Amino acid sequence: MDKRIFGALGALAITLAACGGTATTSASGSPNATSTAAKPDVKVGVVISLTGVGNVYGPTQKNGVELAAQRINDAGGVSGAKLVLVIDDDQSTTDGGVTAFRKQTSQDRVVAILGPTLSNTAVAAHPVAQSAQTPVIAISNTGDGIVGKCDWGTCDYIFRASLGESTAIPQTVSIAKSKLNVKSVVLMYAQDDKFSSDGFAIFKKNLTSSGITIKKEIAFSKTDVDLSGPVTAALAESPDAIVDSSLAGPAIQVLKEVNKRKPGMLVIGGNGFNTPAIIASAGAAAEGAVSGAAWYLGNPDPVNKDFVTAYKAKYNADPDQFAAQAYSAVYILLDALKRTPTVTSVLHDKLRDQIELTTGVKTPLGEFSFNASHDVTQKVYVVQIKNGQFTLIN
Amino acid sequence: MADQIYNAVFIGSIYALFALGFTLVFSVLDILNLAHPALFTLGAFTALFAMQQGVPAALAVLVAFVVCGAAGVILDRVAFAPLRRRNAPPLSAMISSIGVSLILIRLIQLQYGPDLQAYPAGALPAAVFSVGGLELDTLRTVIIGLAIGLMLALTYLVRSTRLGRELRALAENPRAARLLGIDVDRAIAATFFLSAGLGGIAGALYGFATNSPFSQMGQSFELKAFSVMIVGGMGSIPGAVLGAYLLSFGEIASLTFLPSELRDAFAFGLLFVVLLVRPRGILGQRDVDRV
Amino acid sequence: MDGLQQFFDAYQTTIGFIGLNAMLALSVWLTLYTGQLTLGNAAFAGIAAYGSALLTMKAGYPFPLALACGALLAAAVSLPLGATVFRLRGVYLAIATLAFGEVVRVAILAIPITGRGQGLVGIPPKTELWHIFASLLVIAYVCARLRISTVGRAWAAIREDELAAASQGIPVRRYKLAAFVLGALIAGWAGGLGAHFDFAIQPDEFGFARAVQILVFAVVGGIPNVFGPILGALLFTALPAVLQPLQEYRDIFQGVILVLVIVYLPRGLATLLELRRTARLRTVGAEDVA
Repeated sequence: MDKRIFGALGALAITLAACGGTATTSASGSPNATSTAAKPDVKVGVVISLTGVGNVYGPTQKNGVELAAQRINDAGGVSGAKLVLVIDDDQSTTDGGVTAFRKQTSQDRVVAILGPTLSNTAVAAHPVAQSAQTPVIAISNTGDGIVGKCDWGTCDYIFRASLGESTAIPQTVSIAKSKLNVKSVVLMYAQDDKFSSDGFAIFKKNLTSSGITIKKEIAFSKTDVDLSGPVTAALAESPDAIVDSSLAGPAIQVLKEVNKRKPGMLVIGGNGFNTPAIIASAGAAAEGAVSGAAWYLGNPDPVNKDFVTAYKAKYNADPDQFAAQAYSAVYILLDALKRTPTVTSVLHDKLRDQIELTTGVKTPLGEFSFNASHDVTQKVYVVQIKNGQFTLIN
Repeated sequence: MADQIYNAVFIGSIYALFALGFTLVFSVLDILNLAHPALFTLGAFTALFAMQQGVPAALAVLVAFVVCGAAGVILDRVAFAPLRRRNAPPLSAMISSIGVSLILIRLIQLQYGPDLQAYPAGALPAAVFSVGGLELDTLRTVIIGLAIGLMLALTYLVRSTRLGRELRALAENPRAARLLGIDVDRAIAATFFLSAGLGGIAGALYGFATNSPFSQMGQSFELKAFSVMIVGGMGSIPGAVLGAYLLSFGEIASLTFLPSELRDAFAFGLLFVVLLVRPRGILGQRDVDRV
Repeated sequence: MDGLQQFFDAYQTTIGFIGLNAMLALSVWLTLYTGQLTLGNAAFAGIAAYGSALLTMKAGYPFPLALACGALLAAAVSLPLGATVFRLRGVYLAIATLAFGEVVRVAILAIPITGRGQGLVGIPPKTELWHIFASLLVIAYVCARLRISTVGRAWAAIREDELAAASQGIPVRRYKLAAFVLGALIAGWAGGLGAHFDFAIQPDEFGFARAVQILVFAVVGGIPNVFGPILGALLFTALPAVLQPLQEYRDIFQGVILVLVIVYLPRGLATLLELRRTARLRTVGAEDVA
């Protein structure tokens, strides 16, 4: 018995010591490492969800930023200095996000931070960067209150490069009305998920203001095992279209159930629809689904084609919207860094001013600018799935 | 209406399949095995792996049964057997199973990533047929049939075979079972094999039905399985089946008659009321540990 | 010194969460010490978190008053709940409290003023680290004193043998209820502090997963004394940050550590504190947790 207890304790102690050890070395080693290089490295923080619920998005975001950094350094870096990424996992939790932000602002002294992946992590972590006066570019938050007028206070160091649902959804709704002739809908949403609830509120507002009748609102749970019941109830109202505000998982169920019961029925979605997983899992049932996107794979723009080719060569897979937005954000930051006289951690305010001036940067998302409230100005691509491909319809 | 009844039967069958394995371990060993959702997920991914190697769907379900069954036996040896040897309380086993669940889910993610996956195109029947004006799809109908078959088979096994008698004796009193000459270790291994194997089949079938297996898919079932077990009767196999259909029909009915936001309140409210009014559940036979 | 300051700046949230989790672990420890397995403490924390945050945000209550009101609200809910569910024991009691927790979560999702699924955002960040640790100190002290008082002995007697305790004239139901309500009060206090430590709260933060996590802190830490739950909260809150370099292998290590502790340290991490007394260690195997 004794031996076993000591064995277990030993293992525990070794594990803890080993891990604690690596953490401290990297922390204490980093400030000196920069002095040996000819030009100090430009450290950019990236906080994304590599584990936890958000790890569906984090890994491709990591691919996106790493591809961008590699290509930037191959092309001479930031005016000769090497661009170094400091990537931390926020574990999809507010605690993890805040901790990572604090670490990057106080220990790593990064010039700017990209992230975090999830909106509820962002509203907790962004204030950390704001009080450390370190610029942030959000790369995947789509809800309201992330930039401009923030719920938590002044947020003049926070920018967003990811198309917000409050910009995308109105376009989708207007196309649905003008081109697809939708007059009435049933609005379905996952009520226990922040992303879906935010989308639901925006859809509801825009559908009402554009005169489309909402025949019924149906809430379901993100943990629902099967959505045949809610979909049957929605179809019983015989609307022109079904609007679904949810993440990809439930969206696939909705598409399949709708297709089974009423093939050809129009389904309109939010950002949750903009993933290849929808087409892979729902197959033919995904045909005809409409959503507003910040990016789509088939965009023939040369900058996008170049990105897609490079991504495929490096990772042997197609990029998704999250990878494209993460990749673009690094280039948007690069553009501002190049315009900032000397980039060091003490010149955060100068870098911030330059990010504010971002206009017409060519990215896979199209020509990119920030507006006065630090939010995205870019084209919204309203896409419809046709022959297993996202196809532009606006 | 007929539509919604068919939906409820389908969901109930999946709930029942999940809850059966969960109940089996609880009834024999008093362990709430919180790694059951992970084994369920393992089933869906084992089937995915097999089908990617070109194994037909029907055979892939069998592979999932065997692989998950074996995983269940290993789970017992690693996480539960040492606790049993020193007579630790059931609570320790529950916590230990949480640790195993973390490991298993992560291993699946390391292999397949956290994203939604899809089974190879064309490997699953997609046909829809119509009976008396009701559109039924082949896959779901087969799943319902299979689920009911498995429930009957398990009931038969526990009621009428030698292994079943051994399990019941073990559930009643492990020490007495040993004195009666029952190979307790073998019976426990069989319990875990069956429980995890059933979980694996359930996972594979549910994976087929949604065609989007992902690493967290089992989590949705955990809470519902508690509800199913309690309402039907803790540790009772027919009870779990009854509880599963009651829950699914209740959910569908509340969708029709209540605001949809309150549907889950119905499921857990029902659970709460049953616990207070009749804690042994509808078909529970065992005396509940009550003050 | 500068390095220490940096470390402190970077991990100040984690340090805060260690304190909050330690309080929650102590809140469930009270009932576990009485031999009762309940899973309602995450919901109590949630009730108080939403209650106190709404009071500071919408009604302009001063922070300490809002905290107290939140904790009292949680305790007020726990009293009738405890009076009904303590007819049950073991797994049934655990599942009944769990069902209550889910009802609370669904209720939060259905009430518009809570922000529903969108969460409650913009809570004034009033909680300082010293608030958390001063609270923890007081709570741990009270729990430690209670353990060696008459009340604590009655709780231990109930845990060992309920019937025997009752036959000695101990009002069993009342003592169990006292542990439960006190636990809810502590969980509520921690919940209120937590809500004002972050800027936002979500219904999911108080669900089933959280309830189980709190239980893990307490059980893995060890039930015999109040250091166990605190130690458990410390280990499992710090572990994700400490294991960060392991990246995608981190969960696996956490799982392995969890299983190792449960299997090889029968009375939890608190056993570590007794290691020097090796003679006692031999008896440890016989006396288990809970």
